[in-house]
Amino acid sequence: MPVTLTSLDDVKFTVDKDVAERSILIKNMIEDVGESDSPIPLPNVSSAVLKKVIEYCEHHRNDPVQVQDETDDPRKRSNDIEEWDMKFMAVDQEMLFEIILAANYLDIKPLLDVGCKTVANIIKGKTPEEIRKTFNIVNDFTPEEEAQIKKENEWAEDR
Amino acid sequence: MSSSKALSSPPPHGSDIHATWTFLEQGIDQIMNRLEDGLTYKRYMEIYTVIYNYCTTKTTNDGMSASIQTRGATLGGSDLYSHLMRYFHKHLDVIRKDSEKFMDVSLLEYYTKQWVKFTNASTYVHHLFTYLNRHWVKREIDEGRKTVHDVGTLALVSWKDSLFSHVERNVMTAVLQLIERQRNGESVETGLLRNVVTSFVSLGLDENDSKKTTLEIYRDFFEKPFVSATEVYYKMESEKFLSENSVTEYMKKAEARLAEEESRVQMYLHASTHKPLIQTCETVLVKGHTEIIWEEFQNLLNQDKQEDLFRMFSLLLRIPEGLDPLRARFEAHVRKAGLSAIEKIATDAELDPKVYVDALLEVHKKYNDLVQTAFRGEAGFVASLDKACREFVNRNKICKSSTSKSPEQLARYCDSLLRKSAKNPEESDLEDILNSIMTVFKYVEDKDVFQKFYSKMLAKRLVNGTSASDDAEASMISKLKEACGFEYTSKLQRMFTDMGLSKELNDAFRDKMAQNHDAADNTVDFSILVLGTASWPLQAPSTSFNLPDEVVKTYERFQRFYQDKHSGRKLNWLFQLSKADLKTSYCKSSKTGYSFQVSTYQMGILLQYNSGLVYSLEELQAQTNLNMDILSGALGILVKAKVLLLESGENVGDAGTRYELNTDFKSKKIRVNLNLPLKAEQKVETEETHKTIEEDRKLLMQAAIVRIMKTRKVMKHGALMTEVITQLQTRFKPRVPDIKKCIDVLLEKEYIERVDGQKDTFSYVA
Repeated sequence: MPVTLTSLDDVKFTVDKDVAERSILIKNMIEDVGESDSPIPLPNVSSAVLKKVIEYCEHHRNDPVQVQDETDDPRKRSNDIEEWDMKFMAVDQEMLFEIILAANYLDIKPLLDVGCKTVANIIKGKTPEEIRKTFNIVNDFTPEEEAQIKKENEWAEDR
Repeated sequence: MSSSKALSSPPPHGSDIHATWTFLEQGIDQIMNRLEDGLTYKRYMEIYTVIYNYCTTKTTNDGMSASIQTRGATLGGSDLYSHLMRYFHKHLDVIRKDSEKFMDVSLLEYYTKQWVKFTNASTYVHHLFTYLNRHWVKREIDEGRKTVHDVGTLALVSWKDSLFSHVERNVMTAVLQLIERQRNGESVETGLLRNVVTSFVSLGLDENDSKKTTLEIYRDFFEKPFVSATEVYYKMESEKFLSENSVTEYMKKAEARLAEEESRVQMYLHASTHKPLIQTCETVLVKGHTEIIWEEFQNLLNQDKQEDLFRMFSLLLRIPEGLDPLRARFEAHVRKAGLSAIEKIATDAELDPKVYVDALLEVHKKYNDLVQTAFRGEAGFVASLDKACREFVNRNKICKSSTSKSPEQLARYCDSLLRKSAKNPEESDLEDILNSIMTVFKYVEDKDVFQKFYSKMLAKRLVNGTSASDDAEASMISKLKEACGFEYTSKLQRMFTDMGLSKELNDAFRDKMAQNHDAADNTVDFSILVLGTASWPLQAPSTSFNLPDEVVKTYERFQRFYQDKHSGRKLNWLFQLSKADLKTSYCKSSKTGYSFQVSTYQMGILLQYNSGLVYSLEELQAQTNLNMDILSGALGILVKAKVLLLESGENVGDAGTRYELNTDFKSKKIRVNLNLPLKAEQKVETEETHKTIEEDRKLLMQAAIVRIMKTRKVMKHGALMTEVITQLQTRFKPRVPDIKKCIDVLLEKEYIERVDGQKDTFSYVA
């Protein structure tokens, strides 16, 4: 049975139920409320982002449901992104963050993970200054604070 | 934006807790109280989004910085959580007040209805608050806050604190009343009970880990009062029932009650209650009344009430040591049944081994069937049966003189089955009978006696060629081998080997004679069995004997032939076991002549009449060299059959009597069997067999002692006794005084000696 999703800007997307249910939010809701023809409004997601999210869900529609296990190690490594996901995530920074937020809102854990890993890969190997530049962050530390933090994190330095 | 009907204010944005909660409370209220009206996707999404937005808006939660709306993921939520918690308590307070209007079944109806409604709604709420659960609650729990739970658990905890703890007592009173009514035979709404159980089980939350559940609440508030009410109920019922009904009726009742409680667990209790509930029922219904149940056992046995016996067995099986007294009583009963069965046939059985063995088997079969059906082949009862059977097989009226009577009778029965006779059973039946013989054999203590008699009778069957079937013989021997091991049957098997070898030997001898001598020279049709003295229970002849001239040549030829083949072996000729066929040519009444089947000794006598018609006893004795007893025995049969004639008035064997060949001999048959056994001979033989058994046992005991001492070198008297008994008990039960005698013999022969200074210790003399 198809399900209709309505984006923030009132664009309607019709997708198969199993695709929509990649989102735990939607899955729980359909379970609780029951199936219905009425569209599902997603007031926090724009059509541009929703389109991307649906693309991801379509591709991963047959993945096994992930067991929630916080201590699952491999998930925390940032270098095991599938090739398809890597290409999927090759978007501008703005879109990348929007996808992460949407994944968080819709409760699509694997997408949230892939998004966060992608960000981690962007950060990897950069100096603090480069990171600030990349993400447009204003340095609000005093030089003393910065020295202190640097000292505390000395052990993590790549030598 | 179209508004759903319950919605009055538009969804707020951001972090104003008051606006947010006001909005949420309406939604939650609808879910908790009016879920049956339904909830649209739109409304669901609104509520979810409001919570999401509230939690993700960076703020100090006091509404002051509502303008700073970055959408980063912060972990606000504590105010939301407190509001929700207060809401649950308020909601449940109303339900609690309402519940005070109800008692008994109506209270159960109210409680379970509210429970179902509440748990249903809290699933919705739990899902809607997923974002709060995933972030703020998770963080709090990770940091060790025991009082914070995910929203679903919060709902249950609230139910427990605000409702359950106040109504639990009344609910349980109602539950126990309802169950009692059901036990009294009323039909009740078990769905109510099932829902109560589900609610008690669900409330068992592990304080340390909200993902886990415990059964504490259910166990303390439900199971304990339930089980003790059960105990009281059945204690009363069982005592009352027993005072008004028979034990057999009571057992039916108890069985039905136990089954009922089993199904009660299935119907609406938690599976973990099975053990304590059933154990309590077993204690009250069975253990509380064991004495009176045990007392009934003998009656049921006497009346052969299999169904009731099985019921009693199954009930007592449930409690520890419940069956022990029954096993002892069963054993005594079977022993008595066995003894009285033998008592009844005691006079016949001395003559007919079949009657005896059948009587033993009948008792065994009856009680073996009982063990298999009523006692389900339970090992303890099998052991009692075996013990009882061993007793009455070895010590009954027939065996009162000696335990060796049973194995002797058993061996005789085997002989009657395996010997050629008109009454031989069909092959398939025979196998069954042999198997049942093995059943009795298993219980026989003096297995050596059986072996002795069996081998004697087997030897006779083989020598006389009267064995009915080689297959049956082999089958019986393999059964004995299976029961007692290779050594027990090795001699028996050796006997069959000798039979085979003799056949070859005869063929070889016949070929040789045909080569070396003319046909005219081989007038005697000769065949022989050469049997090893070690394996065959045969004795040397008790008399001397002059072989008649007619066969001497053949005798000598074979002697030479055999010595050529096996030099150094000595042949003992057992003429008392040999036989001959004689062809008559003197009888006037028959042209073709008769054929007499005779013993070798009778042949020796009759062949004398080739050279004369009348001989005196003394002449015959001088010519045959037989001793007088044997001679007159043989003559007796010949006279009785009218082959030889005696002057009237004279007795066979009297000095000076004269025996004349009856040339007018007449017989309807052409073959006349004169080789009849002498009654007196049989009896002597039996006695001798028993005597040899005693001798053999002494040797076996001595051998065992030497064997043991050789390995142990030094041994205490008592230990040696025990060891000898264990080693020999598969054959017979050695008696202690006999072992002592054997030890004395060995001391005298200096196989062993007493250790100096220690009176009861022996050592081996190498």
